[in-house]
Amino acid sequence: MSSERLAAVLAGAGLLLGATATAQPVLDFEPAEVRRIGQHGPWPPPPTRDPSNRMSGDPRAVAFGQTLFFDPRLSVTGTIACATCHAPERAWTDGRARGAGLAPLDRNTPTLLDVAQHRWFAWDGRSDSLWSQGLKALLDPREMGASARHVATVVRADPALRCLYERAYGPRRGVDAERVLVDVGKALAAFLETIRSGRTSFDEFRDALLRGDRGAAAAYPLAAQRGLRTFVGPGRCNVCHLGPQFTNGEFHDVGIPFLVAPGRVDGGRHEGIKRLRADRFNLLGPYNDDAAGTAATKTRHVEPQPANFGQFKAPSLRNAARTAPYMHDGRLATLRDVVRHYSQLDMERIHTHGEQLLRPLRLAEAEIDDLVAFLETLTAAASPPPPAAPGVCGPRR
Amino acid sequence: MEERRGAVWRPPAGRALRRGSGGAGLLAAALLAGLAGAAESCEAPEGFTARDRLASKDVVVMFRTLPEAIEIGRHFSVEAVVCATPPTRGLRVDARMPEHRHGMNYRPTVAAVGPGRYVAEGLMFHMPGRWQLLFDVERGGRTERLAIDILLE
Repeated sequence: MSSERLAAVLAGAGLLLGATATAQPVLDFEPAEVRRIGQHGPWPPPPTRDPSNRMSGDPRAVAFGQTLFFDPRLSVTGTIACATCHAPERAWTDGRARGAGLAPLDRNTPTLLDVAQHRWFAWDGRSDSLWSQGLKALLDPREMGASARHVATVVRADPALRCLYERAYGPRRGVDAERVLVDVGKALAAFLETIRSGRTSFDEFRDALLRGDRGAAAAYPLAAQRGLRTFVGPGRCNVCHLGPQFTNGEFHDVGIPFLVAPGRVDGGRHEGIKRLRADRFNLLGPYNDDAAGTAATKTRHVEPQPANFGQFKAPSLRNAARTAPYMHDGRLATLRDVVRHYSQLDMERIHTHGEQLLRPLRLAEAEIDDLVAFLETLTAAASPPPPAAPGVCGPRR
Repeated sequence: MEERRGAVWRPPAGRALRRGSGGAGLLAAALLAGLAGAAESCEAPEGFTARDRLASKDVVVMFRTLPEAIEIGRHFSVEAVVCATPPTRGLRVDARMPEHRHGMNYRPTVAAVGPGRYVAEGLMFHMPGRWQLLFDVERGGRTERLAIDILLE
């Protein structure tokens, strides 16, 4: 073997060694890059309580809500539970492009992972609280098709549900069906708040980078590091997908076609705000438990603007690899398709009120590979299991 | 044009005089010696510690944000004291991102809480980047705009 050939083999071996989990290099991130990367943590955030829901964090409400979540009797036909579309084994979504309850829906079913961290709920932000969003799913004829009366009847007629309900809320004799419905929504929300995602390899890298531990940081794949550099750098993905949740929780038009079906458009946030304002269960209504009134600040100050048409909520990117397909209508099957969408953005489609921030990224195939590699590292090894099923609830003694 | 930088924007301690932003449609604030009227005589009322001061020939806006630090994705309020010649008839507070060509997703409400004193609620900066915080002062049948740049990273 010639010396040149030997050198090439050794160099190749070095590269291979460099690709192992322990010996690969760490990119020399600039201080500004490190600062931006640091903004995506720490993770997990401390649990928060929803001031608009007095049952938030109450273990008795969590137990009641968990039972309700898996109970198909809440739907008018007795066939659709919350868990039918938000299946725990599918990262709390359904794996379909567009959801389907009692009838087909127009939008992709969002995951419930870390849903307690959201400011607005549903793709169009039609709900300003987790509990009121749950009520919309219960009452929507295309989802569970229930009524307040139906829900109250189910809860009152079943001894176990009634027991769990009264254990959480105390004796509720004389309350009307709508009050029972709201109680059910708040118990469901209390349960949903417990669905949190775990740490990811990105979180390990981020923490190692911030404490200057290059040895630990080197366990993070080089391709993911390059993708991360694009994400917080020239890609400017972090302008909307910011913070520990990788979302600003607000609404953007990213060039997805408006048409839902021939002759029918999805107005997105514009419709969502109108529905929010017409919602008797919004935080300006009588069921908001927040005496301080701060929870309703967002609701008091949001108004539909022309730019809202065709905007949809920027989703969290955490666990995105487990929540395919993508975008509000589920039109993109893979993370690669999503990155390619931003690489080839159709500027003709984005209307005049659209974000001037958006420009086609024009990424090379290798850069697309790197961004996908980075996005895949936002996946927790396994989501923490939901709390254990509540025990049998019997009559009070 | 002066800029503030930071993931969380914090005004410096103590009162600071600073320039407002220039640009089309904006009134470049003047901090030149010899300002007449409002600028000379405007003092913060007792108990109001303004962190920023914008001024033109006839208008002074002193303001502070609550909470003091502006954080991306968190609502905040603005307390403002306005001195104007002739006296102000009202104040509007808004914000925009000039490079992105959009404003906030929320419409602030402004309440007069005393002579020349206002509280604007419901502001939120939902993105990093350069924001302009805008004060539209109504007086004498016209509106005068003063602005300050805030850079959130």
